[in-house]
Amino acid sequence: MVSASPPIAEPQSTGRRADARKRRLIGVGRRLGARIVAALVMIWAVATLTFFLVHALPGNPVQVQYETLLSHGVPPAQALKETRIIYGFVSHEPVVNQYGSYLWQLLHLNLGQSISYSGVSVSHLVLAAAPWTVILVLSGLVVSFLLGVLAGAVAAVRRTSKLGDLLSISGSLLHGIPQFVMAVLLAYVFTTLLPVFPFGAPYDITVIPGWNLAYIGSLVSHAVLPVFAYALSSYGGWMLSMKSSVVSVLGDDFVLAAELRGLKPLTQLRYVARNALLPLFTVFALSIGFMFGGSIFIEDVFDYPGLGHLLLSSISARDYPLMSGTFLLITVAVILSNLLADLLYTFIDPRVRGQAS
Amino acid sequence: MLRTPGRVAGVVIIVGFAVMGLIGPWIYPHNLPVNANAIYAGPSLAHPLGTDFEGTDVLALLVTGARYVLLSALIAGLVAVVVGTTIGLVAGYLRGLTDLGLSRFTDFALTVPGIPLLVVLSTVYRFTSPYMMGVVLGLTGWGGLARAVRSQALSLRERPYLEAARGLGLPLRHILWRELLPNIAPYVAMNLLLAVIGSIYAETGLFFLGVLPAQVNNWGVMLNLAVFSAGAIGSPQALTYLLAPLVSILLLTLGIVLLLDAVDEIFNPRLRTL
Amino acid sequence: MRRRQSRDTASETAAGNEDGFEGLRVRDLTIVYGTEAGELAAVRGVDLDLPAGTITGLVGESGSGKSTLALAMLNAVPSPGRITAGSVTMSGVGDITRLRGRALRQVRGGVLGYVFQASQNSLNPLKRVGAQLLDLARSHGVAQPRLILGEAAKLCERMGLDATRVLSSYQHELSGGMRQRVGIVFALVLNAKVLILDEPTTALDMLSQAAVLEVVREIHAERRLATVIITHDIAVVAEMADRMVVTYAGRVVESGTAGDVLRYAAHPYTKALLRSIPRISGDISAAEPLPGRPPDLASIPTVGCVFRERCPLAMPICSDVDPATVSVGPGHTTACHLAAGPLAVPEQSEEVAG
Repeated sequence: MVSASPPIAEPQSTGRRADARKRRLIGVGRRLGARIVAALVMIWAVATLTFFLVHALPGNPVQVQYETLLSHGVPPAQALKETRIIYGFVSHEPVVNQYGSYLWQLLHLNLGQSISYSGVSVSHLVLAAAPWTVILVLSGLVVSFLLGVLAGAVAAVRRTSKLGDLLSISGSLLHGIPQFVMAVLLAYVFTTLLPVFPFGAPYDITVIPGWNLAYIGSLVSHAVLPVFAYALSSYGGWMLSMKSSVVSVLGDDFVLAAELRGLKPLTQLRYVARNALLPLFTVFALSIGFMFGGSIFIEDVFDYPGLGHLLLSSISARDYPLMSGTFLLITVAVILSNLLADLLYTFIDPRVRGQAS
Repeated sequence: MLRTPGRVAGVVIIVGFAVMGLIGPWIYPHNLPVNANAIYAGPSLAHPLGTDFEGTDVLALLVTGARYVLLSALIAGLVAVVVGTTIGLVAGYLRGLTDLGLSRFTDFALTVPGIPLLVVLSTVYRFTSPYMMGVVLGLTGWGGLARAVRSQALSLRERPYLEAARGLGLPLRHILWRELLPNIAPYVAMNLLLAVIGSIYAETGLFFLGVLPAQVNNWGVMLNLAVFSAGAIGSPQALTYLLAPLVSILLLTLGIVLLLDAVDEIFNPRLRTL
Repeated sequence: MRRRQSRDTASETAAGNEDGFEGLRVRDLTIVYGTEAGELAAVRGVDLDLPAGTITGLVGESGSGKSTLALAMLNAVPSPGRITAGSVTMSGVGDITRLRGRALRQVRGGVLGYVFQASQNSLNPLKRVGAQLLDLARSHGVAQPRLILGEAAKLCERMGLDATRVLSSYQHELSGGMRQRVGIVFALVLNAKVLILDEPTTALDMLSQAAVLEVVREIHAERRLATVIITHDIAVVAEMADRMVVTYAGRVVESGTAGDVLRYAAHPYTKALLRSIPRISGDISAAEPLPGRPPDLASIPTVGCVFRERCPLAMPICSDVDPATVSVGPGHTTACHLAAGPLAVPEQSEEVAG
């Protein structure tokens, strides 16, 4: 791995140093480009998967849609046009043309039109639902990340003490509880057995949405349980990975070196913390992607009108354009955040930056 | 293997659920009796875990529901492990274009979020059969293992004994299954158990969401009916009805985790000496 | 470089150099490890003088306690080990084993420069070398931390490194030899008086070894350091050291000038160790490997000579009585019953030539 250098001086002119820097920049640029292309290919693959899923649906809903329109007295040409607006393609063409038509619509960011909310575009519905999910999961993610990282660090440093054991057990226990179990338990305990929080809906129907205290207060009190359901079910994962990360960094030679060089305790702590957090940041960025689809259980239990809720209701309403559009958006969010995580890693880890060239 | 009480408990839990799954459908009638006079009855001798919204015995629901859960989770775990290990080994050992293709495929499988995909798939397939459910769950859950096995295969292939095997011109099949696999077997065994846990969560979760047909008897269905149809979540009397499937899921997971701990110790010499 | 000395260290200064000794002095040092099998001594009753201006080679097989001994010089024995008896006295500082907290921290990396066995990875991988030097300066209360960079740059150039490049590099951008040299820069940049090199050459190729050792020798002479090289490589000691100390199972079994010990080895262990080295000129089969294995912590005898199990000349007395340290020549001592025969003079004082 490490090549030994010759014992003689290693002269390096300023020109060569500038060269090296330029090479490194080009390397980062190339890496960035490659990642973006890979992400685009991935989005194309997911779109293809979605297309064939809609195709595999039992009972050919696209044809059914067309025939329904006909039976309502719509002229065939008009019915074809409307079906194309709804699904992005019609089933009268060869599959290749259908696929091409579907992709062409997607390229224009057109996800089709909802059936259950008749006349409303899928993009519109999806964009209206997304903020609920983002707010819910982002707060849950931040709460669990902060708690988990803190507890994990303490558990690692005090791993031979009672406190360390206790924290580790708390992590393993919570890590083992699936999200829907957590959601149901929290809902049952805190809205039925001890009714301290309101149940269901993102805010009381009595308050008027807007910038008023009643609305915001209602939003917050309705969000507490869902946010904690999310936070508690992901806390264990953060806690356990932070613990193992800190334990492994504490065993690194440079940590002992820092101690034997008499660095301030705070500086030593910074060294350990930064190295231990590094791998977790990438996971954090990845989680941002999974949050779009990751709160489906919680949204379902607490009747929260986010993307997961939209996906479920589209299925029970047999609103397939809405279903495939929501699914596509959820997946694209994952792909984009993978890309983000990758770039973030390049940015914060000098070793990866070095490899790029 | 059975030295510590924890592991004994783990084995007891798993054997207990397995027995439930095996004999459950025999000792209870196919259609469990309903009793309009005993709706949300508390625990009693006749109904140790109380009754549900129709007066059906909760214990009976639990026992008859175990088979679907266990069977599909086991199948899902096996499918995920076989697919993941094969793809990981082949990609890591062959490298080159094969690796590139398989790795991209793995990335793709890892990228598509599992639960939303399963929810969408539920509109295509009706998962009334636990076998079908297991296969589909397995086919959506092999990505992580494939990636991990690939990186292990990448490092193992540089070992002298494998270079020797290559030098001797042994067939690929022999190298993959006889030389490489035994080295990662402990890892694969642990991942089988982890995949089983993941599958239990995923399938009960799916049934809980109500996107799958409620005709089958399954803990997830129990929970779905309790929370969304029967309003048990708003009724303090329904405590045992609501808790029974939840606790079963957690207990089964606990049993597998305890077993995992035992497997870890058997295969990990570093832990064994401690 | 300005080092701020805490009152704690200053008050003990007087105790350290009453007799005018300059350097590091280890007396009767015992280090035990608390294990399930009870308290096991890794280092027992060690006396050692590291005078300024002298390079001491500390030699022993792996597991002989030499690295534990080196860490004890910084009062940094890793848990579950601890110093149970003895002292490590630094002239101008006092007994380092008594220092705690800030005072101890100031000594580490200040007066005592330590170069790691794993110097390959002794830097924070996420920070540039220069930034880590600034951390070092700030931690040691240097009035103008930036000045340390100039000092470090000078040291780098001495070691044949391109200072500007090295200071703006991350660890992974440096080769093994460069990292080792950077490790030495870190140890010396705050004007250390004692330089401890733990296995300084294990990870280096022959050419890098020679270059690194040459620079160490130069700087050692210039700054009149008390330098100690911990190694299992007798060649390094023969090349570099003025004095040589042989350890076995946590005991010092022989010490003297490097020339004396190499030529007139008195202890059977030293003799066996020297015989085990293959010579470049000569028959490779002439090298005799040392039979047996060094004892681990649990099997070190607590009474009698620690080497008796592997000693070809073991006598009944060796299992019952601890061998005393006796003088076998000027400044040349050994702990062996054979040497304590009628010819040997009991040790009086350890007169050390600077």
